[in-house]
Amino acid sequence: MTSQVDITVTVNRRTYRLSVSANRILADLLREDLLLTGCKIGCDQAVCGACTVLVDGLPVTACTTFAFGVDGTAVTTIEGLSEGGALHPIQRAFLEHGGFQCGFCTPGMILSVKALLKQHGDPDENTIRQWLGANICRCTGYQMIIEAVRAAARAMAG
Amino acid sequence: MMDGTGDSPFRSPVTALDGPDKVTGAARYTFDVTLPGLLHAKVLRSPHPHARIVAIDTSKAEALAGVFAVVTGRDAAKLPDPYYGVAIRDQPVIAIDKARYVGDMVAAVAALDEETAYSALALINVHYERLPPVTTIDEALADGAPLLFDAPAAGEPIKLGDGVTSLKEPRPNVLCEFAYTSGDADDVLAKSDHVFEDRFRFSRINHFHLEPHVNVARITGEQIELWSCNQDPFVLRSDIARIFGRPANNVRIHASYVGGGFGGKSFCKMEPLVVLLAMKAGRPVRLCLSLDESLLTLTKHAGILILQTGVTKDGRLTARKSEIQLDGGAYSDASALTVVKTGYRITGPYRWDAVATRAYAVRTNTVPAGSFRGFGGTQASFASESQIDMIARRLRIDPYDFRCKNLLAVGQPFQPGDSGIDSDLTSGLDEVVERLGYRQRVQGSAQGHTARGMGLSIGIKDGGGTGNHAQALVKLLPSGRAIVGAATVEIGQGATTTLSRIAAETLQLPLEWVRYGAIDTDHTPLDNGTHASCGTVVTGIAVTRAAADARRQVLEFAAARLGCTADELALDNWTVRRGNYAHPLEPMITEHFGGAGFEFIGRGMVKVPNDPKAPLTAAALFWMPCWVGAEVEVDRETGKVRVVHLVVGADSGRSVNAVACRGQVEGAALQALGQSLFEELRYEGGEPANATPLQYRVPVAGDLPDRYESFILEHGGPGPFGAKGIGEAGMLGVASAIANAIHDAVGARLTEIPFTPERVLAAIEASS
Repeated sequence: MTSQVDITVTVNRRTYRLSVSANRILADLLREDLLLTGCKIGCDQAVCGACTVLVDGLPVTACTTFAFGVDGTAVTTIEGLSEGGALHPIQRAFLEHGGFQCGFCTPGMILSVKALLKQHGDPDENTIRQWLGANICRCTGYQMIIEAVRAAARAMAG
Repeated sequence: MMDGTGDSPFRSPVTALDGPDKVTGAARYTFDVTLPGLLHAKVLRSPHPHARIVAIDTSKAEALAGVFAVVTGRDAAKLPDPYYGVAIRDQPVIAIDKARYVGDMVAAVAALDEETAYSALALINVHYERLPPVTTIDEALADGAPLLFDAPAAGEPIKLGDGVTSLKEPRPNVLCEFAYTSGDADDVLAKSDHVFEDRFRFSRINHFHLEPHVNVARITGEQIELWSCNQDPFVLRSDIARIFGRPANNVRIHASYVGGGFGGKSFCKMEPLVVLLAMKAGRPVRLCLSLDESLLTLTKHAGILILQTGVTKDGRLTARKSEIQLDGGAYSDASALTVVKTGYRITGPYRWDAVATRAYAVRTNTVPAGSFRGFGGTQASFASESQIDMIARRLRIDPYDFRCKNLLAVGQPFQPGDSGIDSDLTSGLDEVVERLGYRQRVQGSAQGHTARGMGLSIGIKDGGGTGNHAQALVKLLPSGRAIVGAATVEIGQGATTTLSRIAAETLQLPLEWVRYGAIDTDHTPLDNGTHASCGTVVTGIAVTRAAADARRQVLEFAAARLGCTADELALDNWTVRRGNYAHPLEPMITEHFGGAGFEFIGRGMVKVPNDPKAPLTAAALFWMPCWVGAEVEVDRETGKVRVVHLVVGADSGRSVNAVACRGQVEGAALQALGQSLFEELRYEGGEPANATPLQYRVPVAGDLPDRYESFILEHGGPGPFGAKGIGEAGMLGVASAIANAIHDAVGARLTEIPFTPERVLAAIEASS
């Protein structure tokens, strides 16, 4: 019998008090308990980045993060990115620049880009390429994603 | 065929209809399907490459709390027909008597949760009698080699046209063989000024789709229901019906968004096992493989390709004889079809006096090989376009000139009896040459220990499948909103948007009024699956005809209401125009029908004609060229190859969705770049050496060439509004273009992919 841990976590601006088992994984908590299925699990071992969410603004792989580890933090998933029904500029840029195909990597990719643009408001090509190294996209060949990142940076700066 | 030039209704860029769901996390995949009472399954896999299963003790697993069903070969053996595979059916629903590769499915458990299912797997005791494995093509073909199968498999060889040989299991450990001849290749080669024989090796790669293989099965009375990530809902329906002995109208397949496939989710695989688990458990069951398991489920064919090519002293190609051995792995999967297509495509886009090709799939104790974007065309293009370049350099002819001298012209048949080439192949190559700066290159330009070089390539394959067919419907609601019903799954290629746009244009409706309907084999019209770059063309023609049929019905309805004939009327924005008068349709429909109104349901279908004179029984619907230019920098000391500039072009016929076309070409080309430089599923004996996501490296953004360009030409095609398919094109020419560029840089020839530093150094060593 695994022990339970009481946690308080803010997910997408809503605060939850939860009792989670000690071996509960953040990705399962988000997907199964909070129904935030935009968090996708690809490799399930922190390689592909599909499950990327933001914990206090920094990207983590939810598939290898224990739920108790986010106690006292603010978690942002793809569902929490748009505000008041309006797409976030990064989402809009991905939409307008064809920055997705099958879409399975897209939520994690967009959240990685959000963290990138918070650290580097106007990233150069190399910075974008290196930063996106944490997220595998098997469909697009990355180029159109990179164009979306640049467009998002311009939109957010303007 | 429509010309691709001139005005297109599709010039304006379009926002993908599936985009808003995909950027907000709202998109639902089979991965996200859940049902009340759902159980979770896990699979026990063979640790041995080849072993007889003497006994399996599942009693402890069955006794574990939370376990609802344990399935083994004993259960599978009782099924009406427990084997599957394309044409040749040798793969059991779960291993029945033998395990034939490391990863073969030996037992499966359905339990309350995945943790319990894993615990139960650990309690299953399998008694194996290890058998000697054959893990390479050479081992499998050696005299007296151990046999994977003791008896012939069910099924038939692929049926082909006159003069083409297609055999099932012709020799020990050979699954199938294809042979094609045109003219007398031996005679022509004997009379040629030069004959060159070269040998190429192709590696095994995995699809690495990020959504794992996932299926949810539910049994309700006599009905089998399956939510599947499979690319081929109707093919799957047939397989499930046959395996379980049920009428196909009691099998219902639901398809959702598919999180990548690239061929890895085509044809039947673990789906019947999930159904069997659900039957035995009496509860719905979900089996979601891990990516580790997907790596052990299917690969692209590794292979050995030996080409003998004749040429006159002034550089005219004369004849080509080929022997192609593909490593089919442990089970048939789609090898029978892949062998045919690899063998047929080996001649490339050139004119020949004679051709003789023999291609076969060899059974080995490794992961089964099957569909992968390019479907044998990638293997064939690598060997063919490498050899073309080698011959040009041997004859001291510029590889560009050598190609242009021998390329098929527009209208010339690929082979006698097949359709004519429908792209201007030279113009695409010229575009590459221009963008790459090929004419300004300084061959082997060296700086210190690095050297630069440029290489060209033209890959080609037939597109759209062979004699393919599809059906579609378009439902028009009273408001003019429309639903397109077709079974091309949205796998990232943009089918949702492309097929909706074709319907919207045909009906003169705003695109945002059209929705691509959910796919459910109970209601969606049939097609042959999401394969062979056929969606835009084959399914697209069916959708165009369905939309035109719906338009005809609307106009006839309006004509009856207005007391005129339908040909006096035009449809525009859900308004019927008669001369200068506009009649909105919605009030007309509501007034006439009352109640919930009415749906006009248009139907369309297409069957590409069978043709007994065509080598593959039907002429190719269209041709899919891939023009590539690569500039590389090779480090002579480390053997590292850096792709400095990559240009990839394809022909969309006429783009319905230009953004999607570009994405298809660039995405495919980067997969090919990964396979060229580093990506490979390696074996050490019978053991996969790197079958985990961490060890199996796929391209990331940092692997992009310094400059990466794509272009799309529009030379017309047989699809709606002059379109043709483009999805596989970008795979075809990349590996050979890079090999040719390496040769240009350092004078060393790489004949085996991937071009790892070790191989590059060895090739430099051998050449100096």
